[in-house]
Amino acid sequence: MHETGILWLRVAVVLYSLGLAHAILVISSRRTSLFPAALFAFYTGAVLQVVSVVEVSLALGHVPVNNFFQTISLCALIIAAAFLVVYQQYHFASLSVFIFPVVFLMTLIGSMETPVASWPNTRLRDAWLFLHVVLILLGYAGLLLTAMGSIFYLIQERQLKRKRRSALFDRLPPLATLDSMVTHSMTFGFIFITLGVIAATTWAFIETGSRWIAYPRIGLALLTWLVYLLMVFLRATAGWRGRKAAVMAIAVVCCSAFTWAAHVGLRSLLERR
Amino acid sequence: MNFCITGVNHRTAPVEVRERLAFDAGAIGPALTELKRRPGVLEGMILSTCNRVEIALATDDGTEPAGCAEEFLAETRQAPREWVQPYLYRFADRDAIHHLFRVASSLDSMVVGEPQILGQLKAAWALAREQGAISGFMDTLLTRAFSVAKRVRTETDIGSSAVSVSFAAVELAREIFGNLRGTSVMVVGAGKMAEAAARHLRRCGASNILVTNRTRERAVEMARQFDGEVVEYDRFTAALPNVDIVITSSGATHYILNREQVKKALDARKNRPVFLIDIAVPRNIDPQVNDLENAFVYDIDDLQRTVDANVENRQKIADEAELIIQEEVERMVARLKAREVAPTIVSLQEQLESLRAAEVARMKGRFGQLSPQQEEALEALTRGLINKIAHGPISELRRHASEPDGPQLLAAIRRVFRLGA
Repeated sequence: MHETGILWLRVAVVLYSLGLAHAILVISSRRTSLFPAALFAFYTGAVLQVVSVVEVSLALGHVPVNNFFQTISLCALIIAAAFLVVYQQYHFASLSVFIFPVVFLMTLIGSMETPVASWPNTRLRDAWLFLHVVLILLGYAGLLLTAMGSIFYLIQERQLKRKRRSALFDRLPPLATLDSMVTHSMTFGFIFITLGVIAATTWAFIETGSRWIAYPRIGLALLTWLVYLLMVFLRATAGWRGRKAAVMAIAVVCCSAFTWAAHVGLRSLLERR
Repeated sequence: MNFCITGVNHRTAPVEVRERLAFDAGAIGPALTELKRRPGVLEGMILSTCNRVEIALATDDGTEPAGCAEEFLAETRQAPREWVQPYLYRFADRDAIHHLFRVASSLDSMVVGEPQILGQLKAAWALAREQGAISGFMDTLLTRAFSVAKRVRTETDIGSSAVSVSFAAVELAREIFGNLRGTSVMVVGAGKMAEAAARHLRRCGASNILVTNRTRERAVEMARQFDGEVVEYDRFTAALPNVDIVITSSGATHYILNREQVKKALDARKNRPVFLIDIAVPRNIDPQVNDLENAFVYDIDDLQRTVDANVENRQKIADEAELIIQEEVERMVARLKAREVAPTIVSLQEQLESLRAAEVARMKGRFGQLSPQQEEALEALTRGLINKIAHGPISELRRHASEPDGPQLLAAIRRVFRLGA
């Protein structure tokens, strides 16, 4: 009973991943063509998640809030339901850019309560970890470009506003060019950081079973990702530019720096086994 | 006769002052009539553009033209004279001609070499002629100014790089939007400069041009030029969310775009930047709009500052043009002086001719009827004589007319030949 509950949840995660793809498409090219499919998948995923919660509840005899995994999964379900209600009422489609990835990641974490397997060999384990590091570093590169682009945008914007140009920044690219550079690097960074986070979560899940979720650095990493997602969302839907966007990008860079610092100890993990 | 040019331009007065002193198109006619009526005024012209308000005035010898123009400007624009005075420049006689030639040749323009000013000057001249405010002297002067402008344009590179306020606006639009391909432009009010800016933007790839104007016909006409669309004047703000560049040049005396309207448009366009170019004086766009994020408002003075950098380069060409102007001023002054000595020359010739005629008549009376041959010989002899006598003074007068000793020479010759007052 319990196992089928987890299975439904994992199917829901796969369905929710379509929502993530939709969000990335909107951010990178403002295309919303995937939205109908993603919305349908989201509906189905939510229904499966309800089924899963009901099954687990029946098995336990109460609502499944025994541990963090069950709680985060339930929380994801509530957010998903809330979004669907809001969507029905107000057709607030652009909110999906934020909600779909969040629900996806929360459910992914929620589905990792019981280990599915252990590492067949250390090589795969290490390769997986390297992959995660490379993905995250690519993501950081994109993020750094985003922050730099945002700052240059800010400088160019101030120059145009003050109607004076400083000798130092005489030849900056046009605002539109900087804007599209920021959009592209931000999307690039977001895709890689998201993939990196997924790689990290699954790695930690296989590595430590259910213990990993208690590490503060994981929480920090997830928070960083969430702030990044927020920036991406605000930019894609509310068109945040200029000062707000620059401040936001710098905030994300700071979060990332903290997360990185918290993960400096990773090397020792490689040697442990 | 005295001649002067008095006024303000973008260098001597800020936009707040210029907009207060500016004459709108309809006010110039009556103002000219009123100017002409003032005591001592012989001829007058009013040039009112975004960047300058100038009164050119020719008065009789007993009237001081600069003071007269100043008084007129203060009275008609209902501004205290003491308030206007610090912003005014005053050029008299030779300096005024020099200034006029520089203005016509666009050397005194905000963007040196921009071609609009010549058209504006021609329009001011035509209007003054129509009103009968201009006749001989100023007519000659202005006609000359136009050909000087043409000479400057053909003999230097000043016009080749097409710098103007409108072009400066295009350059700025590029700093915001990069490639202008696909941008959408709205022109509010159908002024000449707005039209020029729209034409530049069109040439640089702007895909969609919306035109709105209080009089619809003018908007339709302009829209046809640019393959654009006409938007109803009372509803133009509704079209703002889809517009990247707004150019205003309407003659409205109040702000036609305020902060709230632009804020609304920005929200609707998800904060994509909008570039607002206000080339109207008085201004059409509330300057507070510039405080909004992603809205960039440039008024005519801002455009001036932006192009100052380029002006330096253009200044070299302008120096070359100044030489032409100098030469033309000399020539014009000489011509005017020559015109001044012309009556003396004529009366000298008449005087000598009447002496000759009297002597010939006396001769005939003494010797009775002469044979045709004798008569012919006598005529030739006397005529040759007076021509030879007149030759020296006349050529001296012409040569020295424009020189400092000209007036003394003129007086001396009149006295020597008893040419009367």
